[in-house]
Amino acid sequence: PENNKIEKKALSPLHEYVKKILYKDLNKLCVEKILRLMKKLNWDNEELRFYCINCLIAAWNVRYNSIHCLANLVSGLALYYEEVGFQIVDGVIEDIRLGLEVNLPKFNQRRVSMVKYLGELYNYRMVESSIIFKTLYTLITYGVSYDINEAMSENAIDPLDNYFRVRLVCALLDTCGQYFDRGSTKKKLDCFLVYFQKYYLFKKESSQGVEMARPFDRFDVEFVFTEVLSSLRPEFKFLKKFQDACDAVVKMENEIKESLTKTNPNLFGDFNQ
Amino acid sequence: MTSGSVPKTDSEKPNDNVVKKIVIRRLPPTLTKEQFLDIVSPLPEYDYFYYCNADLSLGAYAFCRAYICFKNHQDVFNFRDRFDNYVFVDSKSNEYPAIVEYAPYQRRYKFDPKNPPKKDSK
Repeated sequence: PENNKIEKKALSPLHEYVKKILYKDLNKLCVEKILRLMKKLNWDNEELRFYCINCLIAAWNVRYNSIHCLANLVSGLALYYEEVGFQIVDGVIEDIRLGLEVNLPKFNQRRVSMVKYLGELYNYRMVESSIIFKTLYTLITYGVSYDINEAMSENAIDPLDNYFRVRLVCALLDTCGQYFDRGSTKKKLDCFLVYFQKYYLFKKESSQGVEMARPFDRFDVEFVFTEVLSSLRPEFKFLKKFQDACDAVVKMENEIKESLTKTNPNLFGDFNQ
Repeated sequence: MTSGSVPKTDSEKPNDNVVKKIVIRRLPPTLTKEQFLDIVSPLPEYDYFYYCNADLSLGAYAFCRAYICFKNHQDVFNFRDRFDNYVFVDSKSNEYPAIVEYAPYQRRYKFDPKNPPKKDSK
C-alpha cells in the first residue's frame, strides 16, 4: 500500500528556536533566563504570538517533572503580557475539556500533563481555586451516569471500565491539593472528596464483572486513589460500598442544607412546598 | 515572577459580574477570524474578542474557538439562542455544530490607561 506521507511544514528558524528553548532547554535552573529570552520576542507580531501561545499551552511536550517550570515561566510572562497569560489558561482549560469529550487512549499522557499543568498554574497563582474545583467537578460529572445500563451502553461518554478520570483527578489533587488545607478551600475539598469517593466506588463496584481492556488498572487505580487521599486527608474514612458512599453524600448535602436554612430560612422554601 | 509556589489566599479579583466572557467552541478548524465575524455579524456591542486557531496536533479533533464579552448581558442570551448548536460548515461541507457557553475562566485583558502594560526594556 502506498504510504501517504504527511508533509511536515518546515518551521521558520524563529519557531524552531522557541520550541528549542521551551521544550529542550527549560529546567528548574534556567527559568529566569528563558523568561528573559521569551520577553525579547516580538509579541506584536500576530503570527509569532499565536505560535508562542500554542507552544506555551502544549505542556505535554515538556518533561512531566518540569511542567512546573513552564507554569512558572507563564506566570512571569503574564506580568508583562497579561493577555497572553489569560489566553494560555483558556487554552489549557479547553484542552482538558476536549480530552473529556474525545476520550481516546492516545491522548491519555497528554491529558495527564494538562491536568497537572493546570494545577501548577494554580500554584503559581495564574488561576483561582474556583477553576480547580470547577475542573474537579467536571471530571467526575461530565457525561457521568450512575445508572448502570447507561454506563454500560456503547456510546457512554465515560465508559464503565475506563478508570482514567480517577487518575486525572488524582493527578490534579496531587499537584495542588496540599494547598487546600485551610479556610473555605479546605471545606470545599472535603466536600469534593465525598463526591469523588462516590464516583470511584461506583466504578469499582459495578465494573466487577466487566471484562476490562486493562485488567490491572483496577488495582493500580485503587492504589493511586488511596495514596492521594490519605496524603491529603490522613483521617479520611474510606468506605467500602457504593451504597455507603451515596449515604455519605446525602448526609453531607442535608447538613449543608440545614446550615443554609438557618441563615436563610426561605432558601429551600420552594422545594419543600 | 513568584519564587515560591505557595498561594496564600485566593485573590478573587473584583470582577464586574454583569459582563461575562462567553466561549464559542467546536468551530471548523479551517474557519478564519474574518469568516467567523462575517457569519456572526452583526455582533452586538462587545469589549473583548479573541479568536483561537485550531491546535492541529489534535488531528480530527482540532477546532477553532472564539471568546467574546458582550457589554449588555441580554445579548448573551440572544447570542446563545442563535448560535448554540448552530451548524458551521467548512469548505468541504463537513458540519460542525458549535457550542456556546460561559467561559470557565472569566479573567480577561482590559486596557487600563492609568496602568499601561509594562514595556520590556530588553
